[in-house]
Amino acid sequence: MSFFVGVKKAWARRPCHLLDGVVTVTEMMQTTSAPLPVETPLVRVRELRTWFPIKRGILSQTVGQVKAVDGVSFDVREGKTLGLVGESGCGKTTVGRTILRLIPRTTGTVEYRGKDFFAYQGESLRKLRRHMQIIFQDPVSSLNPRMTVGNIIGEPIQVHGIAKGGERDELVASLLQRVGLDPSFAARYPHEFSGGQRQRIGIARALSLSPDFIVCDEPVSALDVSIQSQILNLLDDLQQERKIAYLFIAHNLAVVEHFSDEVAVMYLGRIVEKASSKELYSNPKHPYTLSLLSAVPEPNPRPKKTRIVLKGEVPSPSNPPTGCAFHPRCPLTREMARGGDERDTVQITSGGEPVRVLRKCVDEFPALEQKQGEAGHVAACWVTT
Amino acid sequence: MTQKPLLQIRDLNVAFDTPRGQIRPVRDVSLDIFPGQIVALVGESGCGKSVTSLSILRLIPSPPGKVLSGKIMLDSRDLPALPEKEMRKVRGKEIAMIFQEPMTSLNPVYTIGDQIVEAVMLHQHVSTKQAYGIAEESLREVGIADPRRRLQEYPHQMSGGMRQRVVIAMALSCKPKLLIADEPTTALDVTIQAQILELLRKLQRETGMAILLITHDLGVVAENADVVAVMYASRVVEVATVEEIFDHPLHPYTQGLLRSVPRLGAAEGRLESISGAVPNPARFPSGCKFHPRCSLSRQAAASAPAEQTVEIKTVEETFRVLKICTTVEPDLREVQPGHWGACHLIENYEGSKVSLPVLNHRREVTANAVAAEREGAVVVEVLQGKEG
Amino acid sequence: MSSASINAAGMNSVEPARVEKRRSWLASVVHHALGRWGTRLGIGWIALVAFCATFAPFLANSFPLLVRVDGRWSSPAVIHLTAVDFTLVIAAASLLVLIRLKKLPWAIRAWWFAGILGMTLPLTLFAVKPPLVSGYEEYRDLKHEGRVQWMLSAPVPYSPNDHLTDQFDFTHPQPWAPSRSHWFGTEQNGEDVLSVMIHACRIAMSIGFISTGIAVFIGIIVGGLMGYFAGIVDLLGMRLVEVFGAIPTIYLLLAFCAAFERNIYMVMAIIGLTGWTGDARFVRAEFLRLRGQDFVHAAIAAGLPLRSVLFRHLLPNALAPILVSASFGVAAAILSESVLSFLGLGLPVDAASWGRLLNQSVGQGGGFHLWLAMYPGLAIFLTVFSYNLIGEALRDALDPRLNPQ
Repeated sequence: MSFFVGVKKAWARRPCHLLDGVVTVTEMMQTTSAPLPVETPLVRVRELRTWFPIKRGILSQTVGQVKAVDGVSFDVREGKTLGLVGESGCGKTTVGRTILRLIPRTTGTVEYRGKDFFAYQGESLRKLRRHMQIIFQDPVSSLNPRMTVGNIIGEPIQVHGIAKGGERDELVASLLQRVGLDPSFAARYPHEFSGGQRQRIGIARALSLSPDFIVCDEPVSALDVSIQSQILNLLDDLQQERKIAYLFIAHNLAVVEHFSDEVAVMYLGRIVEKASSKELYSNPKHPYTLSLLSAVPEPNPRPKKTRIVLKGEVPSPSNPPTGCAFHPRCPLTREMARGGDERDTVQITSGGEPVRVLRKCVDEFPALEQKQGEAGHVAACWVTT
Repeated sequence: MTQKPLLQIRDLNVAFDTPRGQIRPVRDVSLDIFPGQIVALVGESGCGKSVTSLSILRLIPSPPGKVLSGKIMLDSRDLPALPEKEMRKVRGKEIAMIFQEPMTSLNPVYTIGDQIVEAVMLHQHVSTKQAYGIAEESLREVGIADPRRRLQEYPHQMSGGMRQRVVIAMALSCKPKLLIADEPTTALDVTIQAQILELLRKLQRETGMAILLITHDLGVVAENADVVAVMYASRVVEVATVEEIFDHPLHPYTQGLLRSVPRLGAAEGRLESISGAVPNPARFPSGCKFHPRCSLSRQAAASAPAEQTVEIKTVEETFRVLKICTTVEPDLREVQPGHWGACHLIENYEGSKVSLPVLNHRREVTANAVAAEREGAVVVEVLQGKEG
Repeated sequence: MSSASINAAGMNSVEPARVEKRRSWLASVVHHALGRWGTRLGIGWIALVAFCATFAPFLANSFPLLVRVDGRWSSPAVIHLTAVDFTLVIAAASLLVLIRLKKLPWAIRAWWFAGILGMTLPLTLFAVKPPLVSGYEEYRDLKHEGRVQWMLSAPVPYSPNDHLTDQFDFTHPQPWAPSRSHWFGTEQNGEDVLSVMIHACRIAMSIGFISTGIAVFIGIIVGGLMGYFAGIVDLLGMRLVEVFGAIPTIYLLLAFCAAFERNIYMVMAIIGLTGWTGDARFVRAEFLRLRGQDFVHAAIAAGLPLRSVLFRHLLPNALAPILVSASFGVAAAILSESVLSFLGLGLPVDAASWGRLLNQSVGQGGGFHLWLAMYPGLAIFLTVFSYNLIGEALRDALDPRLNPQ
């Protein structure tokens, strides 16, 4: 558990300049409960596992498990952003939805303001949900095509008894205005809007319950480049205004770096590296993070960096490799195994080719541990230090 | 430099009939592709880049689509005027195409082998056995291990990256002179995207084919293209070499696009953005199609006399732009040697002449992947080297 | 002069030119479906059938609408109206009024209509007591005797059960071929075919709507629960669907008709209770698909109650295939009833039904009476065809590939 201590220390030392002096009276009123003690994170996730059973045959016997999320732990601080990066199928979307209880978890805990979120049921769960909202990737499927924009945004307001009637409509209008849309759009249907506008409607819906935690599930990856930055800036402004914490899920590393205070990299259902945004990008410790960073094409015709092109594909989460899940693709363990002792190395097949890797990487699962560099910089790799 | 272009597009105009009237997804597009060149067509959704590429192979659905005017010359043959029978020989044999979604471009009910063999036998006079040999060889070329076994597999048994390799193998099995790659890596993950782009570059070097790369990803363009054409609202608004475009973008749209891309390791703070949204082809604004979003025109209007400006009201804001931007649509002019732009506000635009963008340019530096045998060493160097 | 404001098209504004697009989804689907002439013809025919069904006693009745007998005015047709006749007329009138009240929202108008209907039926059942015994030939006899000073008859002056006993002409046996007094001829008991056909519209309309209504209702409930809860609920539900899907409706109807007293409501119930499996499958498939959609996740994450998630977010999006299958279901129910009546089963012997007329086209002696086959057959064909046209149009209007939303 040493790395949790490390994380806490790092957080304690972090400057909170974003919040200094910007908390006005109205914002204090918007905050739903008293400010948290510094050491309590807003959302604390511990050893979260979401496994999907694989069923076969007429009696639907469970023949295996897809370990979409397999032991993920992290904290999200009030008013801060945690970025969650990874390739498709790594389980990042499942993490976001499991935290909000849209998908049932297998094991693990999620605490919101120190309260066990999974202990809530029925009416009390519905009430608690208003504090934790979600923004989706697909601007088409995220809005009910049969409801007007006004009802999409207004229904949660009414159901939670925040406002009704004319007051509700006023609130909807002000929300639309805040996300940069005309209040008259409330009478229209989603299909009348462009992708960027729909995403703004989705944001307005998430804001309607004045939450303090929002899961942003790839909020800009379906949008045009020139629209992406508008939406990112809007999310940024809202965070500063309303002290909202984000779990920012994305596959685009440049976007995540720009947007997050802290970044966690996921590979096959697990977090393999976590550090403050700047530290992670300037001083990556996990070979997977390094490969990801080097694979991002830069908008520069004369790139200086060396590119590492990973061999092979992401393995299936229903049958992940033993030990460190990255070992069949890892260039680092191959290099370290070169000329190594027979006892310390082992021959495996990767992408149809025989490869020699370190025995430890195949046999034992590496835990997240503090690496050299900034405090709180943790990575799960046997080789790097 | 006296090399003849492989493909010449001249003043291409494409129209689609819709219940709400005609829309023009491609207007006056001219483009040259030389043998062995990678030309990138860049733009956001709905700018007309895909329709341009589809009309080269005459694949736009007709009706409602039709080529209004313009020539597409492939080795002195005008493709829009070619009989359908001749056109079938061009498709696949001389010009091949790969699409964004590798799953939908393969037929799920046939094996990979059947599909490649069919394509091979259509264009080459070989026996079935020889065709299987060619298919196996082309799979090996795109880096698929154990190609003989893979030929027996169905598309759904493969991952996205593997399928895209198969699609490339199929496209290249007849050794085309031009490959049209329409967003070839958009549906793929970054690490797989790097593999596929690396593969395309390698195959391009080996075969000397030309590639028309259609994408919205400026990173992919910067690292792969020789010449870049930027499209906005159905027209080409800027053409230059890849170095010129990224070092000295002249059109305000290109400038805005480059500024709004978040970059790795860049300073924190707000991203710059282009206001407004991409216009719908059914309701293009008057004059320069970019004027409602153009920051340059707004800046210029601030210091211009009031009679040369007009006020624009949108939901979000009210501002003034130059009057000329709202009345006259600028042509593509050679504003600097080897750099074409379509904007009234580019320096010496007024004095420049309208001309066809022809650029037989090859890039000097290519982002080279680390050689496989050195890769490990580089990783060790980067990960461990910093401690000292 | 310079500050002429121009509208920046393509910016974050949707131009006034597009305002006509701002309809609700249902309205746009109806608009799309109505765009076809086939649909309009279909709806026209159904409207005609509905009109005949509503005003049947005023269109075909042996009792005059207004009469002066021995110097006294009376309206025997109104006196003989049943509770159902009254309800239908009041319903039709209130429907006309409500359609004119354009300012009220659709939902409120629908509630009003349901309220009026719910009030009228029990009231009329309680208050309207038509004479139990009546002689259809009464006014014909009176006229014959010369006691009628003035008479306004219905366009077809025969009730469906009027066996024309006074005019029995044994030299010219029933059925009679079409003639000037009986445009569509008579059937074997001497009933006027046109009159029977007009009154049969009621059965044709109600059997389709009521049995399909039962089927859709059960289908939505069962399919919705299966689709939303999935897992074990889905497993059990699917078995239920399979069991009910395996019941042959016609055989069940035959068995029930043989075992119990003939009753039109039983026929409706049986058709409805066995016909819901298709609807349940559609709703289940739609719910399963929609359940994973982001907007449903958003609704759950916003803490909306289950009732809202199911009925506001899921159901309206799953209605499309139901609408289509319901219009085909109405057609199928009408056909089932016709088949049963043709076989001489299903309805009570004296019930006016198109199928029963068909049954009589083959006489006891083996002779074939063309008019008894042609007119009711045409009516059945046109009605079924109309519903199919409407179903087809709805299907196309709902198909996202043909009508991008």
